[in-house]
Amino acid sequence: MSPNLSRRDLLRLASAAAAVPILSSCAGAPPAQTAESGTFTAYWNAGHDYQAYRKVIAEFEQANKVKVNLQKYQWPDLRTRLLADFASGTVPDVVEEPGGWVQEFALSGNARSLQDYVDRDGAAIGFPADWRPATVERNSYQGKVYGVQLHLTCTLLVYNKAMLSEAGVEPPTTWDELLAAARKLTKGDVYGIALNQDHAYANPWLLQAGVRHYDPATRQVLVPHDAAVAAMQFQADLIHKHKVAPVPVSSTDYSGPQKLFSAKRAAMIITGPWDLGPIRQTSPDIDLGFAAPLENDEQATNAAGTSLLVPAKAARPDLSWDFIKRITALEVERAATKEVGMLMPRVAWAELPEVRSDPAIKAFADALAVAEDSSQEVRLTGQFGKFDEELKKMYQSVLIQNEPAAAAIEQFAATAQTFLR
Amino acid sequence: MSVLRPRTLSARYARTAYLFLLPAILFFAAFFYLPIGNVVSTSLMTGPQADRFAGLDNYAQALADPAVRHSFLVTLAFAVAVVIGSIVIGLALAMALDQPLRGRVAFRVMLLVPYLTSVAIVGLLWRNILDPELGVLNRTLSAAGLPEQQWLNTHPLLTIAAVTLWQGVGYTMVLFLAGLQGIPETYHEAAMIDGADAWRRFWRITLPLLAPTTLFVSVMAVISGLQAFGQAYIITNGGPGDATDLSVFHIFNVAFRTRDFGYASAQSVLLLVVIVAFTLVQLRAGRRGEVQY
Repeated sequence: MSPNLSRRDLLRLASAAAAVPILSSCAGAPPAQTAESGTFTAYWNAGHDYQAYRKVIAEFEQANKVKVNLQKYQWPDLRTRLLADFASGTVPDVVEEPGGWVQEFALSGNARSLQDYVDRDGAAIGFPADWRPATVERNSYQGKVYGVQLHLTCTLLVYNKAMLSEAGVEPPTTWDELLAAARKLTKGDVYGIALNQDHAYANPWLLQAGVRHYDPATRQVLVPHDAAVAAMQFQADLIHKHKVAPVPVSSTDYSGPQKLFSAKRAAMIITGPWDLGPIRQTSPDIDLGFAAPLENDEQATNAAGTSLLVPAKAARPDLSWDFIKRITALEVERAATKEVGMLMPRVAWAELPEVRSDPAIKAFADALAVAEDSSQEVRLTGQFGKFDEELKKMYQSVLIQNEPAAAAIEQFAATAQTFLR
Repeated sequence: MSVLRPRTLSARYARTAYLFLLPAILFFAAFFYLPIGNVVSTSLMTGPQADRFAGLDNYAQALADPAVRHSFLVTLAFAVAVVIGSIVIGLALAMALDQPLRGRVAFRVMLLVPYLTSVAIVGLLWRNILDPELGVLNRTLSAAGLPEQQWLNTHPLLTIAAVTLWQGVGYTMVLFLAGLQGIPETYHEAAMIDGADAWRRFWRITLPLLAPTTLFVSVMAVISGLQAFGQAYIITNGGPGDATDLSVFHIFNVAFRTRDFGYASAQSVLLLVVIVAFTLVQLRAGRRGEVQY
């Protein structure tokens, strides 16, 4: 047979090459549904479809004579869809975002300023007066409000009371106490503590060591450097040196520690209110304890939580604002907390009887007083995506692959310098 | 008009053929060639909206980017493992199931089922099986008195290549099985009369006559290996660190996490060029080794 390619071969080859799916993915995902006049489209996190919100949505539909199309996604899929929508120009009316996107999209011109609505209705709905100041700041850009905080969460050390009691261990309050407790609690196939593979869980440690992600004045990352190295190395040592924590496994799933805790294979985990439901469901016999945020150089934990934004090209911003107003009302916050134990950003929420009387919610609500947002400065550079990707590599190389923290952070800082110039 | 009413018989045949091809051509044009054209044009742009002309800057940046180079090398290693594994295991299974065994149809079906399952389901399934603390595999090893393994931490790339093989080898087996059944039995009979043992018959008859199948399998395995995405996305999220940062996963992150569509598009075009180059080389090399019978 001739070694030369026939025309048919070339056609086959061209077809095979055309199968490169990434090309079509990068060319843009399928466009969003055209905004119909009678349909109001909201992009929502799949885990936040609460009955409390459904009730508000029904009222919103009745008041505005529209049908709400609540499209539910996991965060990465929501982002993929939203970016494709921005490219196509057909956007949803309102978007729930996981924290950080509001400023990113304000910076890129994809989010609409809500300042005119805030000026008009702010006093009536208690915005920004009744929102914790940090939640307003993280949703503002150049002095204008672009988003409204929907949930405000943080992480705490959650422990199995029976295990600690059996080992004669008091809930730890500092890193040293944590290590001592974890050593006592580790026996057989039970670990004292389980750390998360998700790099976002490095934030409480970094904050407790007084580390900021980025200092705009010096343009340095993870400062002070020595404290960052110590924080990362402490976590790695729990796993590799002291062997009081299992090696996490890299994946898209952040529920690994919760599963170990539920299986009584770990006595302590650092987590937020989102893991309490699964633990109570799978292991109702576990008596949960909640420690105050740990203290090292300072007592701190990381602030997180979702916000609502309106795309710049949204066709009916008045409706979007009405939706935001209704779903962030104090009574809705109260109902959502009662339903699923979610933490909320209103100052008045923290004083509700439902919050004060539930030990779990109260523990998290109290911790919000020392919760900080660690990545705001990076977000305002417009390079948060790259920063976060490199932070993930650094975190996993230290915790999973046991690279020395000093070398990994140095490498991370060098890479970050290339795009944070 | 000559176009509508061809004068010669061959022209009429050609017109009929093109009419039959038209739906496929339109489909490919709409869903593949136009997006490819769009990607090529986007690759010349920059900015979060890909709205500023950058010329060939994205290509120059990609060629000099150590992260791109790393992800390409990771992908190449993954593709090599998948290609070799597909051919060796697929052929071995095909030869085993080409024998008159009891229940061989059931075995063939069992081996093909993973191929019919989506990569997302396979990924989630294996992620749970391989979990070092709660996974079934380590529990089984432990029960058998064997040491537990950190599969996804110590050999992450090899592990996702193995999962890919587990999923795809049934399809390769079917292809080889079809190839084996197309080899006339008379060649084997003649070789046996001449005193050739089974090993010799495999090397001198079976393998050369399977060359077209092997070529097809290797071309498809290289293409799918270089395009692999779901394994990294579902099982490892590219980690630990960047150990399983496959090219397409890397490109996806550049586009949808760091929001640089121009740069992601340039990397996509470069990957396309690499895939086409590999395929051409394979086709040329493979055709030289083909045996006619």
